[in-house]
Amino acid sequence: MKRLLLALLLLQALLFASDVNKGIKMPYMEFPMKPGKGMYSTKGKCNMCHSWGYTINQGLQSKKFWREKVIKMIEVFHAPIKQKDVDEVVEYLYTNYGNGKEE
Amino acid sequence: MQRRDFFKKAITVAGGAVVGSTAADAKETVETVHPVDNRKVSDIAFPQKRPLITYSDRPPLLESPREVFTSALTPNDLFFVRWHMPMIPTYINLNTFHISVNGEVKKKLKLSVETLRKEFEAVEITSVLQCGGNNRSAFHPTPGGIQWGVGAMGCARWKGVKLKDVLAKAGLKKGASWIKFNGLEKPVYTKTDGFVRALELNKVHDEIIIAYEMNGEALPYLNGYPVRLILPGFYSDSWIKMLSNITVTSEKPQLHFMDHAYRVPDNDCECETPDNLAPKTKPIEEMNVNSLIGYPVSGTKVKKGAELVVRGVAFDGGSGIEKVHISTNGGHTWEEAKLDDGTQGNYAYRTFIYPFKPEQTGLLSIMSRATNHKGEIQPFAHEVKWNHGGYKFNGIDEVTVEVVA
Repeated sequence: MKRLLLALLLLQALLFASDVNKGIKMPYMEFPMKPGKGMYSTKGKCNMCHSWGYTINQGLQSKKFWREKVIKMIEVFHAPIKQKDVDEVVEYLYTNYGNGKEE
Repeated sequence: MQRRDFFKKAITVAGGAVVGSTAADAKETVETVHPVDNRKVSDIAFPQKRPLITYSDRPPLLESPREVFTSALTPNDLFFVRWHMPMIPTYINLNTFHISVNGEVKKKLKLSVETLRKEFEAVEITSVLQCGGNNRSAFHPTPGGIQWGVGAMGCARWKGVKLKDVLAKAGLKKGASWIKFNGLEKPVYTKTDGFVRALELNKVHDEIIIAYEMNGEALPYLNGYPVRLILPGFYSDSWIKMLSNITVTSEKPQLHFMDHAYRVPDNDCECETPDNLAPKTKPIEEMNVNSLIGYPVSGTKVKKGAELVVRGVAFDGGSGIEKVHISTNGGHTWEEAKLDDGTQGNYAYRTFIYPFKPEQTGLLSIMSRATNHKGEIQPFAHEVKWNHGGYKFNGIDEVTVEVVA
């Protein structure tokens, strides 16, 4: 019995050690999108690199701001967003997360 | 509950901290206000963390709730998290992990954590780590960037080795003038610049360390396991996490995150207006004087005539905190709070307490205002001037409690 207990304790210690050493598992969180024209296209493009939470927690912004952000994603971060799709993404972001100002 | 209500609720909760829907953002003012306070912590905890205010899961962006800021050290599982790149290693094998030291050095090095522990002198320093955009939600018009409330900061006891000792071991070549640091976070596309920070060699001092422990434990993965750079007094964009490479250069490197991001106007007030942006900018670097009330939080009910002990923390970029004052009448008069003994050093939180007895029922404002050893003093929130990045907010803190009979 004593031996069994010792074995169990050892096993537990090993399990604990491997827990610490096996790294972490990141959770996935759903950040809901406001439904509207261009939603799926925008979701696909933004979510290639980061969560939707990263986008909407920038606050409500002007059309100019959203346009500059999308262009920055293309130019600085090399996001594969085609030039022809920029307007649609900007329109979706501004319509749903805009502050009512063009600039 | 109606089915529709249920979904509405579920959506709000899942989002954690979606600022687009808060009242503070709907109202456009040209004045700086108090940052958005007491956002709800998420229902989902990240690994090695308790549930925190969650802005993004990829990369993880987590803020500590206000209640955390009553103690001198922030527990590791409550410490805020901010990464830039979406790909972060979730497993690190200490047997193969190492920091490379290269560039303008006489001898290239590959240092494992074990080597750092065994072959270098261990040093410890207690220092505040704060995001340059902490409190960004105070600025109006709304600057771009995560709309942090008050909790993108923490203070820990860091243990590791001096950067100086590591550089000495490698030996610097003549002409070496800058050091680049980067870690293991990776962009999705290989041609994207990594998150790299550079430091001028002449700014290296004894208290800049490569840390392998945080509050006596291994660093949590999300705070940069197994090692991160500690730059006491500087905002956290300089404190590279999962540090994997140190490159010494002779020229100032061109870096997106130093040349374009994390910069403030290079003028006396570090300020500008949306219509007239400052032509010249500089990296944010040294933190300015700040304080925060951890207890009570806004909305707390307290009893008339009973002793209420206000608790909080104050800090700056390294000159140290001289005094903290408390006002319970909207900033008309100020009383001195009692500070801890300051033995944790000038880069650490200085905790304060201020006991008093509220004598009237109704709403009561409590403000904290820190002064550092340089004589710098926190301005009122509305006096903090705007900058386009929403950096370095340090307005006088304020909570409002309800005094009941």
